[in-house]
Formats: sequence, structure tokens, C-alpha cells
Amino acid sequence: MKKAVCIKNLSFRYQDMTLALEDVSLDVFEGESVVLLGPNGAGKSTLLLHLNGILRSEKGSIEIFEEGMDDGDIRSIRKKVGIVFQDPDDQMFMPTVFDDVAFGPINLGLSEEDVGKRVASALSMVGLTGYGNKCPHNLSFGEKKRVALATILSMEPEILVFDEPTSNMDPKSRTELIRTIKELNSEGKTIITATHDVNAVPEIAKRAYVLNKTILAYGTVKEIFENADLLREVNLEVPEVVKLFEILRCFGYNCEELPLSVEESIEHLTRTIEGKDGHVHLHIHEHTHEQLNSVIDRHFHPHKHHNFDKI
Amino acid sequence: MIQYPEIDRYSALSSPIHDWDPRVKLVSILILIFSIVLLYDLKLAFIGLIVAVIMLFISKIPLRFVGVYLKWVSFFILPFFLIMPFTVQGTELYRFHVLSVTYEGVTYALLICVRAFSAALLIFPMIGTMKFGTTIKALESLKVPNKLVQMVMFTYRYIFVLTSELQSMLRSMNSRGFAMRLSMQTPRTLGKAIGMLFVRSYERSERVYNAMVSRGYVGNIRTSHPFKLRDKDWLKAFPVIGIAIGLHCFAGIV
Repeated sequence: MKKAVCIKNLSFRYQDMTLALEDVSLDVFEGESVVLLGPNGAGKSTLLLHLNGILRSEKGSIEIFEEGMDDGDIRSIRKKVGIVFQDPDDQMFMPTVFDDVAFGPINLGLSEEDVGKRVASALSMVGLTGYGNKCPHNLSFGEKKRVALATILSMEPEILVFDEPTSNMDPKSRTELIRTIKELNSEGKTIITATHDVNAVPEIAKRAYVLNKTILAYGTVKEIFENADLLREVNLEVPEVVKLFEILRCFGYNCEELPLSVEESIEHLTRTIEGKDGHVHLHIHEHTHEQLNSVIDRHFHPHKHHNFDKI
Repeated sequence: MIQYPEIDRYSALSSPIHDWDPRVKLVSILILIFSIVLLYDLKLAFIGLIVAVIMLFISKIPLRFVGVYLKWVSFFILPFFLIMPFTVQGTELYRFHVLSVTYEGVTYALLICVRAFSAALLIFPMIGTMKFGTTIKALESLKVPNKLVQMVMFTYRYIFVLTSELQSMLRSMNSRGFAMRLSMQTPRTLGKAIGMLFVRSYERSERVYNAMVSRGYVGNIRTSHPFKLRDKDWLKAFPVIGIAIGLHCFAGIV
């Protein structure tokens, strides 16, 4: 499979000599959706800014569809890689939504007619048809986030990069945004998402890299979430669904492989119920309390002991 | 609730000025403003003020809305009215002990007031009758230097973001017990808050620049502007520019 992004041994220091990235190597294949997991200050945003040449480092190399940053025209790389920034107010600098979404296509040198078509199509993809004449300061945060995405979609990049896409969003807007990211991936776009929203990870990606200045681990999302020690080290945790099924396991629910998302849990429950004559049997057995204490300690209060003998 | 400086709040109204080509409107009214502020005759300046008021009425922009902005203009103009009558040499009108009010002083102060208010009033029909984005496009289409257009555009766009940032900082200060008092602590705290706002603005400007470069920015901003000139746009321009020139022709005669 063709590599969309290939980073080799990238290191980066800011001007004040703070080390932001150290010997980072990662590959993202065409059409894939990959998540970059890491705590605050892990260098996720810094890494993303390297993907279209805004930040450059002398140590290491970055190739986008086998084209190096220094090989050719940086504009052609920026056309291929679209970054959706964390704060939409940074991304929307034009006086109206239309002008903002049109900014990229105009810079690509498209005709006025094509610019109009791209704007209409991008706004329709994020569900904001008819918002063209609105001013950014009159939009809600969720709407601003969607316009920020539209400003990138209108450039029709092959690789879409999201920096904390779900931060500060209300649940409905968050769900809609996750759906849009999934749709874009199913349409063939390569997606890279930097996030610490662990509940969103299983929904949007199959593979993940854990970054904390350097790459600490990589693998399938399942493999990463099975590594509890690693998650604790980088201030992350497993999705809520995993916690619930671990608790169910204490009550005798039989699941060796824990589901990571709501969709997977529906599949799992359906499979279990169908295999057990139409019902699930839960009970308190001799090790339930002990196991519950262990789950609670691990996920909820790692520094505190509980007594669930009275359950 | 934050009071945003939305000069284009009434851009959706319908009036002959709203329905005027933005480029012709900008140029025509700007000529009229320059014409009025360069007048040296008080009577003609009053005629200019009347023209400005008429144009404001035609534009249908509510007076209450205009009044809010004129308050700030008065803040800068009224000191002239308080100082000039006492400081300009000339024919004495009244005398209070050592202070004397002169006819020339009153006339000059009035002249400055009338010219400033006329110009301020004309700003509303000029840029308050279209979306600010349209004003930007008109400026760009009129070949105003792109750097200048960008400065106007960013100032307008980010004034809202900065207002809301300042508002949230003040709110956070108030919720932690800060209150304006007559003590050194108040200006010190406000100074620090404003300093932080500058730092935040600087950091934001870097992030905005990154976002712009990501989308192909190389120094110039271009927008699409589907303006079309019609005969009636010129017909509206004639009386406005006519008055602008006429005022100075009269000034020559007077």
C-alpha cells in the first residue's frame, strides 16, 4: 500500500531550545485513519505543523506521497495536506463564512465559478448550506468548528489532519463531527487525528501512535488500549465502554476481548445473548468484590482503596 | 452580554443607499466627507451637516444606534468646545474674571464640532449600509493597497475575538474578588490584564498566520466580488459628488 505520510527520525527544538519532538518516526498509509494519542504538551500539534511544512526541522525527514518537503513546490504539499486547527477562531480570519471557505480555492488559482462550487460543496458536507453570508463572530462554537473543517474541505486535500477535533464541543456536535470524519475516511481520504479524547479514538481510527515527545508505542487501537501501564504513563485511560465491560466481567459476563466502542459493544452483547438462549446471566460470585476493587482502583481511583463487601 | 462593535448591524435594511454599488458609494461619500471637513465657513459646514443628516435618514439606520457611536465622537470633540472659546484671540463676547470668551473661539469650536459630527454621521451611510465583508471587497476592488485591506480586515475580524477574551478575563478577575477601586492596585491589575491580552493576541496571531499559510497564503489576500455597475449607481453618485464640489464653489463665492 502507498505511504501517504512517512516521517523518519524527526527531532525538533523550539527557539528557546525546548525539546518538542525527539526521533519521531511514523508511517500513515493512503486511505487509512490514524490517531496520534498523547497528553497535553506531548508535541502533537508541533508534529502536525510539520506535515505541511509550516515548521521545518533539520533533523529527520518527512515525505508526503513520496515527495519530500524540500523536493519540490511546498504549495503542492499544502494542497495535499489540510490541517484543521484546534481553535476555529485561528482558522477563520475572513469577514464572512463564504470568503473563509473560498480563501484556499482562490489561492489555488481556481476560477470564480469553481470557487463557488467548492464552497457550496464544502458547506453542504459539514451541514452548513446557506451560512455563506454569516459573520464568524455570530456563529456558535460547534458551527465555527464545522466551518473550520469546510475551509479545509474546499481545498480537497488528500490528507486531512485534525488537531483535537472534539475539544470543547457539546455531545451532539461531537457525534456529528465524528460521523463526518468517518464519512471522509470511507470516501478515501487519509485521516490523521491528534487527540486525547479516548472515547472518540475507536470510532475514528483502527491504528494509533502514542506520542510523548517521542513515539512510545504504536499498533492497533485495541493493542494500545490493552496496554494499561503505557496509558497511565501518558495520563490517558481506556474508553468508558471498556470500563463498563470490565465491570460486567466481574459479575460473570463472559468476554475475553473487550469491546472499545458502542457499536462493538452492541455486536458483542448480541453475539453473547444469541449464544446463551436469548439472555445474559450476571451474578455475584466469590471473587466479584475482589475483582471490582481491582477494576475501580485501576480506572477510577488509582490511589485509593475501596471496600465493596456490602454490595 | 458583550457589546460588539458591529457597525454593519443594519446592513440588511432596504434603502436607496443600501442598494448602491459599494465601490461608488464608498468613493462618493468619501469625497463628500473630505469636502465637508475641508470647509472653513461655518454656514456651509452646517449645510454639510444637514446633508449628512438627510443621508442618514435616507439610509434608515436607527438614530439610537448612531447615537451610541456619536457618544464616543463627542468625547473627543467636546474638549475643543471647552477650550477654544477661551483661548482663541479675537472679539470678546463675555468676560468671567480673567477668562474671556471670544467670537472667533466659539466659531472655530463650532466649526470643528459641525465638521466632525458631519463626517461621523456620514460614516454610517457609507459603511453601515453593507456587510463589512462587502466593504473589504469594495476596497480591494478599488485597488486600495492589499496590505491596508488586510489590516482593516484583521482588525475587524479579531476585534470580536479580543473583546470576548478581554470580557472573559475581566469576568474571571471579578469572580476572584477584583473590583475597581481608587487604589494603586486597580491600575496595576488592569495593566497586567491588558499586558496578558497583548501576549495572547501575539500568540493568536502566530496561530492565525500558520492557518493562513496552510491554505496557500503568500502575502496577498484575494476575495471574489461579483459587483456590477448599473446606471442608477452613477445617478446616485452625481448629487453626492455634486454637493461635495458645490460646497467648495460656494465657499469660493462667499
